[in-house]
Amino acid sequence: MVNDSGQLYTIEGVAAAIMMVITAYLVISSASIFTPQEKHVAQMQLEQLGHDALVVMDTPRENGVQSNLSKFISDADSFNQTYYTLVNRRTDGTFDTLKYNVTYYYREGNDIKSEVLVQEDYYRENAVKVTQWAYVDPPLDKVVLVEVLLWRD
Amino acid sequence: MARLNDSGQWIVMMGFIVSIAIFLLALVVAESAIVGKTTSESVLEFPKTDIQDLRSELMEMRWDKIETSEYQYDIVNLSLERKSSVIWYQPDLTGEVPVINIHYNNGITEYNEVYAEYF
Repeated sequence: MVNDSGQLYTIEGVAAAIMMVITAYLVISSASIFTPQEKHVAQMQLEQLGHDALVVMDTPRENGVQSNLSKFISDADSFNQTYYTLVNRRTDGTFDTLKYNVTYYYREGNDIKSEVLVQEDYYRENAVKVTQWAYVDPPLDKVVLVEVLLWRD
Repeated sequence: MARLNDSGQWIVMMGFIVSIAIFLLALVVAESAIVGKTTSESVLEFPKTDIQDLRSELMEMRWDKIETSEYQYDIVNLSLERKSSVIWYQPDLTGEVPVINIHYNNGITEYNEVYAEYF
């Protein structure tokens, strides 16, 4: 008589192979999602850092005093210096390599106008945009929107 | 003639159980990756700081500027043009309890607040 017990092993082998291939495919295809996830976390931190720096600048030292943000809106060098230190200074005193563009927007009648404060060469790195409202005292006497494009060089 | 040897059925069944278990585990792994992705993405997407900024700016303007329509036009128009979000606020400071109605909508997230001042 023909011994057909080997069929069982063959069926098991084929079934297991199919399952393992499907499993390996699922795991590998899902593992490739991890890369953008890490990228987003870095962007999230960058956004937080950039916005925190703007909030610090927008906070006046004491009651009744102008904040650095509204004071330096007409003084691009001071703005650049302050923001650079806030964003780039590490705990050991050295400096990080974050770069940024700063523009502020204001309304004049029905037009939105912009003024560039800091302009760096931007080669389409992964950048985040953070904004901050600020009231600027006369002569401008307007609420302006400060936009910062921030990226790691 | 000998009885049919059916011990192989155990091997087949255990094979199926183990592979189905691995399959389900792989599904869990795949799910967690998708969840992790959307979490950090939704943190980026959610306009938490935008709403905080708007509120803090309004609180800063509370004493002398919030009822000036020029500043309101500034905020409304700038947010429409630069942030693609609709902002409206309506102060009512004459009542016994001063109130500021704050509205924010960027198409995905909507935020409404009736800010009442109790001293």
